[in-house]
Amino acid sequence: MEEDDNVPLDPQPVVEWLDDDEIAQLDLQTISNSLQFNRVSSQDIIYQKKQKCKMVGRYVMGDKLGEGSYGKVKEVLDSESLTRRAVKILAKRKLRRIPNGEMNVRNEILFLRSLKHKNVVELIDVLYNEEKQKMYLVMEYCVCVLQELLASAPESKLPLFQAHKYFVQLIDGLQYLHGQGVIHSDIKPGNLLLTLDDTLKISDFGVTEKLDPFAPDDTCTKGQGSPAFQPPEIANGHDSFSGFKADIWSTGVTLFNITTGAYPFEGDNIYRLLENIGKGVWSVPEGLDPLLSDLLVNMLRFDSKERYTIQQIRNHTWFMSSPINTGDSVPIPPLQGNALRSSTVLPYLESYHYESRQNNVYFTEHDLNEAEEMARQQETSSSSQNMRISKNNSITNEEAFTTRASSDLNKKRRTKKKFISCISVKKLTHCRQS
Amino acid sequence: MPFFGKSQKSPAELVKALKEALKALETLKAGGDKKAEKAQEDVSKNLVSIKNMLYGTSDSEPQTDIVVSQLAQELYNSNLLLLLIQNLNQIDFEGKKDVALVFNNVLRRQIGTRSPTVEYICTKPEILFTLMAGYEHQEIALNCGTMLRECARYEALAKIMLYSDEFFNFFQYVEVSTFDIASDAFSTFKELLTRHKILCAEFLETNYDKVFTHYQRLLNSENYVTRRQSLKLLGELLLDRHNFTVMTKYISNPDNLKLMMNMLREKSRNIQFEAFHVFKVFVANPNKPKPILEILLRNQDKLVDFLTRFHTERSEDEQFNDEKAYLIKQIKELKPIQTDGTSQSSQQQ
Repeated sequence: MEEDDNVPLDPQPVVEWLDDDEIAQLDLQTISNSLQFNRVSSQDIIYQKKQKCKMVGRYVMGDKLGEGSYGKVKEVLDSESLTRRAVKILAKRKLRRIPNGEMNVRNEILFLRSLKHKNVVELIDVLYNEEKQKMYLVMEYCVCVLQELLASAPESKLPLFQAHKYFVQLIDGLQYLHGQGVIHSDIKPGNLLLTLDDTLKISDFGVTEKLDPFAPDDTCTKGQGSPAFQPPEIANGHDSFSGFKADIWSTGVTLFNITTGAYPFEGDNIYRLLENIGKGVWSVPEGLDPLLSDLLVNMLRFDSKERYTIQQIRNHTWFMSSPINTGDSVPIPPLQGNALRSSTVLPYLESYHYESRQNNVYFTEHDLNEAEEMARQQETSSSSQNMRISKNNSITNEEAFTTRASSDLNKKRRTKKKFISCISVKKLTHCRQS
Repeated sequence: MPFFGKSQKSPAELVKALKEALKALETLKAGGDKKAEKAQEDVSKNLVSIKNMLYGTSDSEPQTDIVVSQLAQELYNSNLLLLLIQNLNQIDFEGKKDVALVFNNVLRRQIGTRSPTVEYICTKPEILFTLMAGYEHQEIALNCGTMLRECARYEALAKIMLYSDEFFNFFQYVEVSTFDIASDAFSTFKELLTRHKILCAEFLETNYDKVFTHYQRLLNSENYVTRRQSLKLLGELLLDRHNFTVMTKYISNPDNLKLMMNMLREKSRNIQFEAFHVFKVFVANPNKPKPILEILLRNQDKLVDFLTRFHTERSEDEQFNDEKAYLIKQIKELKPIQTDGTSQSSQQQ
């Protein structure tokens, strides 16, 4: 019955079935339109730098300043005091992979909290993110690592007056640390930071040891620092040694390094290196200032009992005299193309607040490729430099290698992440809209 | 135009002129109004010229090394530095500041490893003593303070000051009623006691009794700032490894422990907190002398109770909480050496 009702009301729509031929025809039409490959020149694909403002606690995040085995160091801006800070980001996941990783971090926080000196980096805040399993150590902002400055200097060495300026501050800081019963155990240019007003700050207290306040002397047992800066007593595997004198040795190697661009001990691999240090035979490079040489000889004495104390260093002629200013200091090198190392937080803030007004900077794939190529070239040249350093130097423990490899991987992933691919199309000349 | 005339004066002439003006000022200070004014003006003018020679001005560079060393030599020979400091309160306001600037600049002068002015002052320690006495005169105290702290940077000069009888005047200076002078004096005092670690440790060891009898007065001062600052400095001194011997000596004296235990109960939370950092050393000592142990044992329960409730709002401060927990544990585990020492009478707290 219902069918009857329906029939008159709804005249059956005319269905025109297409036969196969026609379909083929139709397809061909549409396909022929889009089947031709539209060649898009790499210059036409554009990318835009991602500028998303991110906050951790009250800190606005900026770009990366550096990277270590534990994680990244980024620049941040304290949104309350508007001061520039650096934040060390530690991921639990990474820390677990490093021997004593979590212990070392706990150590570092504990020590830094209790230390306050002009030449020791100040820990300002510690934040935890349980969800991400991350820890943020907010510290004083330092513009540069002494190591970077050194790497940018001709022959990787500093003019004597500049080296002297840093060395004096290093001794001041070290004396304070020793006074607090703190043995740094890892003094090296890579752990010395510089601020904008050229103040040196000792940092990285990961392997630091603290003496019991009632311990009668400074006997230590650990010795975890970087191989190239370790004293013979550690290289020879002594069970216990004088902690203060071990720091003096590393400070001596640091002074040697910043004034000559070389290391007193070298070795093709870590075993050779330690073997050479263990023998303790080294020589002052020719042409080095005689007073400085004398200081170095006394700081790098094989027998730790004969090695200078901080007081003796202070009374040494080279320490007391200020070498004549011989022209310009080595300037702080540019970071990622920014000669002034200006705040990397500001662009994020600007784009957050004034996005509409801002002229977006676009990258084309071509630019990107070129930049990548540049970076690759730089990396190879710097890694060859690294190779050179590690040859006569340190780092050669396995974890340093693995972390470096993984950090390389990370780096690649990050560059990909940083750009939003093809968010808009500038002009696709060969592409017809369908 | 007079500017050119002045800058052409040689260092010798300048020093001579300044010395004469000062002499005039010295003799005239009582009566001669007009003449004294003139002399004061002369002093200030010459001081400005000397200052400009050393520092330069907005449109001229500092003089060459030769001129500066001539100037320094003249200053030593004429004994002008001492004269300037002795008559500092006669010099006008700007002039006083210029004296400090000139003094500090000449003091910092270095030739190779030598600091000629430091050597000169070593032969004329009156300069230092006059400066130290400057804290007694309100109008020059702060100027003397800046010069003193500059001197204290040099070990040789710090040593003269520390080992002088005048040093003990600082225990009064840091307590004077004028706040800015007291705190300036305190920072000089602290600089002298902490700057040159080895020197300071030796000084404290050899003069232990004298220094700490005086120090005790600061800790008991009626002035809150003095009490707090001196307690903080005491903590810093004791916890510096350079002062190990002094620390062990200090923490073996039961009177010191009693004082700290009383300070733990002070009204001010800041003082309580500073006292905690000294108190912890007594408890952490692995070789507690008998009298110390006895006091702690007598108050064992009370201390545990007190510390458990002590500054509980500092939950953020991990180190403090760790230390507190450690102290509580230590005190709980205290065992009397002899059985007869277990009387639970609590006389202290």
